[in-house]
Amino acid sequence: MTLLTRASPQTLRLLALGLALMATILFFATQIEGYLSPRMFNRISTSAAVVLPLAVGQAIVIMTRNIDLSVGSIMGVVAYMAGQSLSAMPDLHPILTVLLCMAIGAGFGALNGIIIAFGRVPAIIVTLGTLALYRSFLVEWSDAKTITTASLPQWLVNLPQANAFSIGGLDVRVTVVLALAACLVTGLALTFYRPARRFYAVGSNPDAAVMAGINARRVVLSAFIISGAFAGLSGFLFLAKFGNITVVAGLGFELKSIAAVVVGGVSIMGGTGSMIGVLMGALLVDTIDNSLTRWAVVSEFWRDALLGGLIMAAVTLDTLASRQLTRMRKGGTE
Amino acid sequence: MMKLSGLALAAGLAASLMGSTAFAEAVTATPGQEVNAVLLPKFLGILPFDQANRGAQEAAAELGSTGKLEFIGPTPENSAAGQIEMLTTATTQKQHVVMLSNNAGDQIAPAAEAAAAAGTRVVTWDSPIPNGAGEAFFVAQVDFGSIGVVMADMAFDLAGGAGEVAILSASPDASNQNAWIEAMKGTMAADAKYKDLKLVDVVYGNDQSEESYNKALGLVDKYPDLKVIMAPTTVGIVAAAKAMQDEGLCEKVKVSGLGLPAEMVSYSLNGCAPAFALWSFVDLGYLTYQASYALATGAIKGEVGEEFTAGRMGSFKIEEDPGRAGAKRILMGPFTVYTKDNVEAAAN
Repeated sequence: MTLLTRASPQTLRLLALGLALMATILFFATQIEGYLSPRMFNRISTSAAVVLPLAVGQAIVIMTRNIDLSVGSIMGVVAYMAGQSLSAMPDLHPILTVLLCMAIGAGFGALNGIIIAFGRVPAIIVTLGTLALYRSFLVEWSDAKTITTASLPQWLVNLPQANAFSIGGLDVRVTVVLALAACLVTGLALTFYRPARRFYAVGSNPDAAVMAGINARRVVLSAFIISGAFAGLSGFLFLAKFGNITVVAGLGFELKSIAAVVVGGVSIMGGTGSMIGVLMGALLVDTIDNSLTRWAVVSEFWRDALLGGLIMAAVTLDTLASRQLTRMRKGGTE
Repeated sequence: MMKLSGLALAAGLAASLMGSTAFAEAVTATPGQEVNAVLLPKFLGILPFDQANRGAQEAAAELGSTGKLEFIGPTPENSAAGQIEMLTTATTQKQHVVMLSNNAGDQIAPAAEAAAAAGTRVVTWDSPIPNGAGEAFFVAQVDFGSIGVVMADMAFDLAGGAGEVAILSASPDASNQNAWIEAMKGTMAADAKYKDLKLVDVVYGNDQSEESYNKALGLVDKYPDLKVIMAPTTVGIVAAAKAMQDEGLCEKVKVSGLGLPAEMVSYSLNGCAPAFALWSFVDLGYLTYQASYALATGAIKGEVGEEFTAGRMGSFKIEEDPGRAGAKRILMGPFTVYTKDNVEAAAN
C-alpha cells in the first residue's frame, strides 16, 4: 500500500497500461496460433507506426485542452499530395520528401490553429469543420485519380520493407524507427525544453498561464501546427506503406489517434500526459485491433464494438483508479 | 488463362444477346427536351464513378437535353447518410430524375419512395436498392449471376481447382457486392466442379486502402493455407495485391476480383493478381443516362418488356430482375477478364 501511495499517479497509470498490454498479448497468444512470432511483431509495429505520429501531435493538442478532429483528413491530403509530387519529381530527396510532408501538414494545422486561437472558436467545432473541408478539398484536388505504387519512386516502395536493425530475431523497420523518433524527440522536449512545458501550463490552468506571462494563444496555435506537421509525417508513412492512395486515405484516423491518446493516459481535461503513455496507448489499441482481426471467435461486426468497449473500459478503469488513489492520498495525509 | 477468356467471351455474348433481343419495337426518345438530372454515385473521388460521369455527360450532349445534368455525391466518410440527404434534396428541387449508385442498402428506400411520389424518378445503376422500393429500374452493369460464375471460375483456376478462398469485400451495406458474393456462393454450391474449393471467410475493407490492406494480411495469417483472395471491389483488390507483394506472398496467395486495369497493371504483370474482371463504367454511365432520359421524357414508362434505343450502344429492354423479386432491370454487359496479355492495352 505504501508503494502504491508513494508512486506518482502518472507512474501508476503507465504501470497499469503496461500490465494491460501484457495481459492482452498473453491472452491472444493462447487464442491465435503463431501469435508470438516475428511476423506478428512486424504486423503490429508497422501498423502502429502509421498512427503514432498522429497520436503524438494529438496528445499535444489535447494537453492544451483542445482537440484536433481534422488530423485524418490532413494525413490523407498529405499522402495524396506527396504521392503526386513524387510522381512529378521522382528525384526528390527522401529527407526533403519527409520535410515537405510535414510542411504541408503544418500549413493545414496552422489554419486550424489561427481560427481557434485568434478567432476564439472552440477547437471541436473548427476541426469538425476542417475535417470535412480538407477531405472535400482532397476530393476536388484529386480529380478522381488514384496514386498508384507504379508511379512512385523505388526507394519509397521499398521503404516499408527496409530494416533499421534486428533484435533477437525481431526486425525493426525504418518506418517504425521514424515514428519512434518523433515520439522520443517530443517526449524529451516536453520534459526538458522549457517553452514546451507551456503546453502543460496552458492546459492545466489557462488563466494562471496568462497571468504568468505566457502567450496562451501562441501556445495553442503552435500545438495545432505541431499536430498538423505530425499528421503530415503520418501521411508520409501512410503513402509508403499503402502505396495506392485514393480520396478515402486516412479516413477515421482521427478517432484512432484520439483512442491511442486517451488510452495512453492523456487527460481530455488538459494539462497532463506523457509520450511514453501515448506510445503505449497506440501500441495497445493497435495490438487489440490487429489481434481481433485474426481471432476466429469474434465476427467482423463485433470487432469494432469490442474495440470500443475495451477503450471505454480502459478509460473507466483509469478514472476509477486515480479517484481511488486520490482518496487514499487524502486519507494518508490527514 | 485461355479458358477464362473464352468463358468471359461466352458470358459477355450471352449478356449482350439478352440485352438486345428484339421482340417489341424499340422506341427512340425525342432529343432536345428538358431533363434535369442528378448523377449520384456512392461517393466522389474515385475513378469508376468519374468514368460513369463522363459517359453520362456524353449521352446528355448527344441527346441535346436542355436541362442540367449534375454530378454530385457525398464525401467518402458520409456516404450512406449523404446519399439519403442528397436524394431528398433532389426531390425538393423537383429534379426529373436521380441516377443513384446505392451505398445505403434498404435505408434509402423511404427517400426513394418519397421521390417517386413527388414525381422525381429514381433510376439505380451500379448498385441497386435491394428491396427495389421507390426505384423505377436498375441499370445493371452485368448479370449479377454471371459475376458469381466468373468470380468462382477465376478462383477455381487460380487455386488450381482446390483449396481455400476468402472474400475481401467493400462495405457490408454495398448491395452490389453482397449480391455478387451470394451469386459466387450459389455457383460454388450448385456445381460439383467447385467441391474442392472452400470459401473460408468474408471480410470487409470498407473501400479504404489501409483497412483492406490490413484485412488481407489478417486473412493470410488466419488461414495459412489460403490460396486466393477474391476482392469484388476496385479499392480492395489493389490493396490486397500490394499487401501480398509486400509480404512476398504472391506465389502462394493469388489476388483476384474486380479491378481497374489502370490501377492493376503492375500487379497483373508481376503475377500477384494474374486475372481480374471489369466492365466499362463509361458505357454504364452512358446507358444509364439514355435510359433515364427516355424515362423522364415519357418515351418509356419503366415497364417490363419495353424496349428503347440507347444511342451508340444499340437497343435495350426492361426485364424482371432475376436477383430481386418484383424489381426491374436493364442489363448492360459484357465484362472483360483482364490478364497480363490484355491489361496494358486497357490501362492507357
